[in-house]
Amino acid sequence: MRQPLLSLINLNKYYGDVHVLKDVSFTIDEGEFLTLLGPSGCGKTTLLRCIAGLERIQSGDILLSGTSIKDLAPNKRNVNTVFQNYALFPHFNVYDNIAYGPRMTKSLNESQLKTRVSEVLELVQMSGYEQRMPHQLSGGQRQRIAIARALINEPSILLLDEPLGALDLKLRKHMQTELAHLQRKTGTTFVYVTHDQEEALNMSDRIVVIDQGEVQQLGSPREIYNNPKNLFVTSFIGDRNIFPVEVVEPGEECSKVKLGESVVAVRNSSSAKNAFPAEGSAILAILMDKMRISCDETENAVKGRALSIHYAGSQIRIEVQVEDRVLTVVEYQKIDCDCQVGDTVYISWEESGAILLPKDGWEERGV
Amino acid sequence: MRTLKRNLLAVPILVWIGLLVGVPMIFVVVLSFLSRDNLGNIIYQFTLDNYRRVVDPIYLRVFWNSLLLALLTALITLVVGYPVAYITANLSPTRRALSLGLIMLPFWISSLLRTYGWMILLGNAGLINNVLMALKLIDKPLPMMYKFGTSLVGTAYMLMPFMIVAVFNSVDKLDRSLLEASYDLGASRWKTFFQITIPLTLPGIAGGFTLVFIPALGLYFVSDLLGGGNTVFLGNLIHTMATRGRNRPLAAAFSLGMIALALLVLSLYWKVSKDKTGEGLFQ
Repeated sequence: MRQPLLSLINLNKYYGDVHVLKDVSFTIDEGEFLTLLGPSGCGKTTLLRCIAGLERIQSGDILLSGTSIKDLAPNKRNVNTVFQNYALFPHFNVYDNIAYGPRMTKSLNESQLKTRVSEVLELVQMSGYEQRMPHQLSGGQRQRIAIARALINEPSILLLDEPLGALDLKLRKHMQTELAHLQRKTGTTFVYVTHDQEEALNMSDRIVVIDQGEVQQLGSPREIYNNPKNLFVTSFIGDRNIFPVEVVEPGEECSKVKLGESVVAVRNSSSAKNAFPAEGSAILAILMDKMRISCDETENAVKGRALSIHYAGSQIRIEVQVEDRVLTVVEYQKIDCDCQVGDTVYISWEESGAILLPKDGWEERGV
Repeated sequence: MRTLKRNLLAVPILVWIGLLVGVPMIFVVVLSFLSRDNLGNIIYQFTLDNYRRVVDPIYLRVFWNSLLLALLTALITLVVGYPVAYITANLSPTRRALSLGLIMLPFWISSLLRTYGWMILLGNAGLINNVLMALKLIDKPLPMMYKFGTSLVGTAYMLMPFMIVAVFNSVDKLDRSLLEASYDLGASRWKTFFQITIPLTLPGIAGGFTLVFIPALGLYFVSDLLGGGNTVFLGNLIHTMATRGRNRPLAAAFSLGMIALALLVLSLYWKVSKDKTGEGLFQ
């Protein structure tokens, strides 16, 4: 079996009495783009800082290529960080900022250094900016310089702490593509922290979803999006209708649930095989954009009444009342049924779009 | 219209400063060009004699003593005060308040009393000598009073808080992520300190240096009490001339010489603080 590049083993971190990382364990493979995704305050940045060595862990271990680095100072670890606010040295120009790492470690002589600096500047498309001072650069340019400065040391892992957070939407989208491209070009392992699910889904090979200091789920963007393991991941990623339903007939792969006047079959979540009590209640989550509206009753369809219809550019959002619940359906361009507000409609969904979860944690969510 | 209104608001302050600083300054300047009779009465007759004496080699020696004292004082307060300021700025909020409170505490006691405190500490029959003798480490008291060094220690002690507060402010403003970035890129703590911390707190260092240097030039009672007049400094000289010497015109000329020296240092400070990040004490 191939050895993972970085192994996190039962990491625990406390700030005073607050337990910010709880038994975090996973591995990172060489050359992958891994994203730590979670809401603010979930511990994802702390985890990144633990890998960088800027925070100490109270228990557990961090192995880089099989060797423990948990007691090494940040300057002795072969990882580099792109900070959220870029942290460019304001009193150095671009060249000296980028040259800082090699100069401190004395890994290159001045002529090699010159070549390397122009190489990384070319990599981030900032050639010719050597003499500029950081305050003369725009946000996007500072971002690129911060990446170049971190990459020049050829780290085993590049850690990125919400690097696109301060940029405007258009630039952010552009930089997403560029970062993913850069990662493939350099073959460097990226560990990327963000709270933006779209960013995570777009760029990553794998995503680690974190909440309250615990790993909630680890998998490819597709897995995370289509097969969320628990209620947190279900509600955090993707736009879904989430509500409790009666389980009429529990099954191994699929269970039948009662929704409105209909009984429909829904796929069980991976964490919930055989976990539903007979005729107990469970949580149904359906991706809004995997739902469809039709005027005629079909198999597995649920009857409801159209409450409102919003046109929002490329998509149409329709709110449908089913008994005492309001579900949102997102359709793109073409609707099978040209319904009006107040009409009776039938909603159905692609099988892959719906998932049934155990009710654990529903009450705490306070919905 | 608006600017006029704003300027009107500045009038009381300008009058205040004008009366308390400007008018006495004019007196001093005028006085410096006059002479006096043996009783110390002013003779209203223009003369450059006072200035001729200011540049007399004997008196230039006094300027040199004062310059040396002020420079060394600023240097000592920097070396001792910087770590104190740096550590204080990195403490938790409650400890930081405590530390700053302790640094400011001596201001609550008369500076004259504190200077006598040093005499009790350093005198031949003082605390340090008594303890050392009791421990049989020395046979006879170490002479520590009435030296240049004694004046230096006293002056540095007196002005230390100014340096600490000036440096504290700029360390406090320092972006901690820059230090983390430096460690992250492979720099040791020591290299980070010299490459990042020192250059970025230079405005505070320059500010503290100025705040200590200028008062150190003129502080006369410390060197009077601790130095015992063995080394003559500008402050003592001016004080003596104006009082016992009954020569106020000459004292005025020396005062203007001291102001010129202070302005020289201030102009250096302005140059440094403008060259760098543009933030400083007087902006």
